[in-house]
Amino acid sequence: MKISVEDINYIAGLAKLRLTPEQAESMIKELERVLSHFEVIDRMDLDDNSPDTCDCSINPVFRQDEVFVFEDKEKLFRNTGAMRDAYIKVPKIIE
Amino acid sequence: MDGRKLTAGEIRQGLLEKHFTAKELTESYYKRIYEKEPVIEGFLTLCRDDALAQAERIDEKIKNGEPVGRLAGVPTAIKDNICTEGIKTTCASRMLCDFAPPYDATVVRKLKEADAIIIGKTNMDEFAMGSSTENSAFKKTRNPWDRERVPGGSSGGSAAAVAAGMAVLALGSDTGGSIRQPAAFCGVVGLKPTYGLVSRFGLVAFGSSLEQIGPIAQNVKDCALALEVIQGEDRLDSTSVNHIMQKGLKDADEEGIKSMKIAVPVEFFNSGLETEIKAAISESVEKFKAMGAFVEEISLPLTSEGLSAYYIISSAEASSNLGRFDGIRYGYRPEKFKDLNELMEKSRSEGFGEEVKRRIMLGTFVLSSGYYNAYYNKAQKLRRKIKEQFIKVFKSYDIVLSPASPVLPFKIGEKSTDPLEMYLSDIYTVNINLAGIPALSMPCGFSRSGLPIGLQIIGPHFGEEKIFKAAYALERELKLNSTGPEL
Repeated sequence: MKISVEDINYIAGLAKLRLTPEQAESMIKELERVLSHFEVIDRMDLDDNSPDTCDCSINPVFRQDEVFVFEDKEKLFRNTGAMRDAYIKVPKIIE
Repeated sequence: MDGRKLTAGEIRQGLLEKHFTAKELTESYYKRIYEKEPVIEGFLTLCRDDALAQAERIDEKIKNGEPVGRLAGVPTAIKDNICTEGIKTTCASRMLCDFAPPYDATVVRKLKEADAIIIGKTNMDEFAMGSSTENSAFKKTRNPWDRERVPGGSSGGSAAAVAAGMAVLALGSDTGGSIRQPAAFCGVVGLKPTYGLVSRFGLVAFGSSLEQIGPIAQNVKDCALALEVIQGEDRLDSTSVNHIMQKGLKDADEEGIKSMKIAVPVEFFNSGLETEIKAAISESVEKFKAMGAFVEEISLPLTSEGLSAYYIISSAEASSNLGRFDGIRYGYRPEKFKDLNELMEKSRSEGFGEEVKRRIMLGTFVLSSGYYNAYYNKAQKLRRKIKEQFIKVFKSYDIVLSPASPVLPFKIGEKSTDPLEMYLSDIYTVNINLAGIPALSMPCGFSRSGLPIGLQIIGPHFGEEKIFKAAYALERELKLNSTGPEL
């Protein structure tokens, strides 16, 4: 499995990560090695198997889509960087 | 007092019979933590004030003759990816270094309702990605049996805290072996429950279709008791399962394992397995035979391919789950950025460690156009095949035995520069997560150099009782030195 610098930077862009040229170089080497190991499953004949997307034999928990009031709003806001009145202040996210 | 040698059941009994108070016991555990933690570095946060307040509440209940919970007074440590109200939950990441959740995870609520005492949050590989706890952004935990070696991972802090006598119980999370491998490395008992048996509400997500929260304890009975407390359906986790409650050891402990059918897969004993581990596991197999179990060798041919499927699926899920960390609402945010894209990229590139970034890249790659079918889709197909393979085995056998790890605890730094080498050390544990079945790791011997060796007991879906029954029988038979490592 060969990965180019363009490939790795494209994937980094999708993943919203920024790599320095040195980091990109070492990431290429590591991913090439790992992906080569993974190729073992690409060589397997699995056409008769459907993907394992859910386990339909068990009965999961469903609930009504009801509103539950979280009483202590202060607690919810504790992890936000900044507040203005009842709003969470965030960086500019619309361009 | 020194409560270190007491089991969870003995602690409750001791409190009720007024041999000691919960406050005295808690103080004794903190005394030990303050002595040993500088050497082990298993904790990221200690919550002494809250723990002593909880201890006083329990003492008050006992004084007033009120009933107390099943884990009354039991000092319990929580892995730092499990939410604890008002107590930092960092996932050992710079990204969440100041995050204090506004609520308790369901398992933490259940522990508190059972009157357990939460003593602190334990170190781990960042976002539970790793097998040595070296990927923590904050500290390197040391193996209590040999401080030059890793405690395993990712729940290395939890396993080390229990092994070092700094906690009676601990919670870990297991996405591909993260409870069982550190339990094996630290010589303690750890269980990954059946997928769906324990609520994941409040567990910071890494590989949602694979992971479960589970207990780590000094012995099988405490492990079973902790599972009984934390298990059960939860309206806040739609993947938790209705109406299935395990009885743990209550009815099983005295029955023994006569006529139990045990399978031993030959593929788990191939080259790559250290000889001392192989010998210790074979000895346990012989013990099971001597106790009257019916043991047979079988073939589970997809073991090594499962490792690839696991890393593809878990990395794909990680890349999606960790997408929420964008620096906008909470978590790490850089001081300077010129636009939205730079804000997100800098937040993630500076907030995440190397292994987390590697998994996100790997996951994004296998999900990207052109590679999805070759990697992700095929891995999901293989996952189904592996699950069916296990279901078929459990039609004929009660449990399956294997090593928990192919290697003994390795030295700090020995594998940290080679990601693939580190991934390969998970070969015996990841298939269990792909299949969603339960498995326990317990100590079954020591190497010549005094390092613990872990046996993995695998059961069918919701077959925890069978696992505990076998583990308890073997524990009594082996009579391993229970005094723990010298520290």
